[in-house]
Amino acid sequence: MKKAMMVIHGMHCASCASNIERSLKKIPGVRSASVSLIMKKGSVEFDESNSAGVTEDEIRNAVKRAGYEAKSITFS
Amino acid sequence: MEMKNNKDMHEHSNSSDMMHENHSKRAEHNKHEHDEHAEHDHSSPVEDEEISMWKKKLFWAWLFGVPVLILMFIARVFGIEVVSDTFVIILFLILGFPVVFVFGWSTIKGGFRGLFTFYFNMDSLIALGTTIAYLTGVGALLGVVQDYSGVAAAIMAIFVTGKYIESVARGRATREIMKLLELGAKKARILRNMGGKNEVEVEVDISEVQIGDIILVRPGEKIPTDGIVVRGESAVDESMVTGESMPIDKRKGSNVIGATINQDGILYVEANKIGSDTFLAHIIKLVEEAQSTKIPIQKLADKVTSYFVPAVLVLSVLTFLGWMVFNGDLSKALTSAIAVLVIACPCALGLAVPIALTVGSGMGAKKGILIRKGEAIQTMKEVRILVFDKTGTITKGKPEVVSVHSLVKEIYMLEIAASIEKLSEHPLSRAIVNKASQDGVKRFKEVKNFKVLRGRGVEGTIGKNKVIIGNTSLMNERRISVMEVENKVEEFEKLGYTTIVVSENSKVLGIIGIADALKDDSVEAINLLNSGGYRTVMITGDNERTARAIANAVGIKEVLANVLPEEKAKKVEELQKLGEGLVAFVGDGINDAPALKQANVGIAMGTGTDIAIEAGDIVLARGSLLGAVQAINLSKATFKKIRQNLFWAFAYNTLAIPLAVAGLLHPIIAEAAMALSSISVITNANLLRRKRI
Repeated sequence: MKKAMMVIHGMHCASCASNIERSLKKIPGVRSASVSLIMKKGSVEFDESNSAGVTEDEIRNAVKRAGYEAKSITFS
Repeated sequence: MEMKNNKDMHEHSNSSDMMHENHSKRAEHNKHEHDEHAEHDHSSPVEDEEISMWKKKLFWAWLFGVPVLILMFIARVFGIEVVSDTFVIILFLILGFPVVFVFGWSTIKGGFRGLFTFYFNMDSLIALGTTIAYLTGVGALLGVVQDYSGVAAAIMAIFVTGKYIESVARGRATREIMKLLELGAKKARILRNMGGKNEVEVEVDISEVQIGDIILVRPGEKIPTDGIVVRGESAVDESMVTGESMPIDKRKGSNVIGATINQDGILYVEANKIGSDTFLAHIIKLVEEAQSTKIPIQKLADKVTSYFVPAVLVLSVLTFLGWMVFNGDLSKALTSAIAVLVIACPCALGLAVPIALTVGSGMGAKKGILIRKGEAIQTMKEVRILVFDKTGTITKGKPEVVSVHSLVKEIYMLEIAASIEKLSEHPLSRAIVNKASQDGVKRFKEVKNFKVLRGRGVEGTIGKNKVIIGNTSLMNERRISVMEVENKVEEFEKLGYTTIVVSENSKVLGIIGIADALKDDSVEAINLLNSGGYRTVMITGDNERTARAIANAVGIKEVLANVLPEEKAKKVEELQKLGEGLVAFVGDGINDAPALKQANVGIAMGTGTDIAIEAGDIVLARGSLLGAVQAINLSKATFKKIRQNLFWAFAYNTLAIPLAVAGLLHPIIAEAAMALSSISVITNANLLRRKRI
């Protein structure tokens, strides 16, 4: 289980947060996604077993797809 | 309380001023670092950026919006025709255009993109509402429909205003947490050895500090990182990290925590934890993690929120169709549909839970109460039974030998006991070794076949003699008669001493009474809980009599004695099965992990400078029982706010939507109500601060 954290720009309402969560969850291998509207932060948990894993670009694109911008993505 | 905060802040700024001063002296050849320093003065870049963005939009939107409102007001209320209708419509369209499509462009753009990509959000509702309203103006010029284009500008202006107020209030809600993030020192002054006795003071960036570096901390300065005092004496204000209001005396050998403030002496600190391993880093991690966990009640709100926008879109279309079918008035149908669009934003609903949680956990963090799992806040209100671990929770966890009763020469017994106990890490063992050292035992004997008998004692062989040391049940188990000391054992136990029997070759040599002083505020905390109607239970490995004596001293009515460490979780489970309410376990998080997990709410004591992160749902940075009481009060107060917020958000929507559908709500009023609902939810959450915990 790996985790990625990010700062999200452009979010300003509750449905924004749930849209981003929805979009992040569509990335293959993502187990759970959680976005905090108030802290402007998001986190995703994903399986490492998936050979490709989840890349920074995938996360950035998923957030973009929902209409927002992900910055300073860090993996742990 | 306020006074104290001011004092804290004062001290913070003092210390950072000092750093600044030092800095400017080197500013010339250190420009880069200076910039970095200046950067951290901003509270939260993302939040600030947002506030100033909305502020700008707000100004411009009203600059054009006010004339629109005045014109609408004159036209509507007085029915005076200053200029011709067509001219007014054209004026509305000209004034309204920049408001809706320039200053509101991000909303319009985001909203329509949402509509087309099926990521509906609240912008979609506003974008659709304002665009339709604006287009009625064009329609009016063609004579198809009444003009509502002024409404578009008014809705957008109010929307922007609401967003501005919301971002300011939200900034306030995250204030404590943001403060925590900035608490860490940016610089450290370390001593560099330049060969021989030549030591030079060098100021370095905090990231350059290595474990083992000796850091110089002057009075009034922040201690840069966790470490041990190697020279100097001072009092240190740890309130910003642990919530402990009294400064703590530090001398050689004391542990110090990074980000706490040195008060009056110079300290030389050897760094022993840096970067993400520090106490502060752990606290920040806990608080941040908690922000992204969802509490059960929020899942419901989230579900509603995610279906809300599409449902409102459908409802709005139905409203339009309904009016067209049953009334036929296109204008009425349009305004009703617009009112539905703008009023039914799920914003207040989506904010209700997280905003209260943020304020609550921020308040807690300031007092050293770290809520790891938001769920604990919801669970806490059902908790009726509180189980306390004895050692390290109710008591200081620093047991000392207070009485020795020996049947042989006392020093001989202590020597034997200490030689064996020296091999064990148990606190009781250490107490015995300390006592022996104090009494003059210098050399410990060689021990073979040493074995720890978990929860009961230790055994080993010295020379040819088999030594067994432990509680009376261990002696019974090994068929060692304690007849000779029985009365003395009873006496010790009634005093609340943990009593250890020392035996050699199945013969009792004597007994050692060990006591662990109560923490200063344990009695007060238990009193508060008892009068709050909680069932308080103490759990311990001590026997009944000893346990009872301590429970009486602290005010706890129920005792679970003779409990082996691994049985604690089972005991918690048994209490849970009683069905009297949920069970919270308060323990020091080191050997209590299973019980903390088993309990409905686990409250872990962070002892000293260590924090057991994985153990509890709530972690107390300061190992004080009053912290547990505060944690309970805070959880309950926060959850009450969550419920209030949800109630208002739901009530507002269920009340307002039917009115809008029925055409009884003017779109401008609808938008104003919508903005107010979000603001009131955030304001209500901020009111949590008034609660004394």
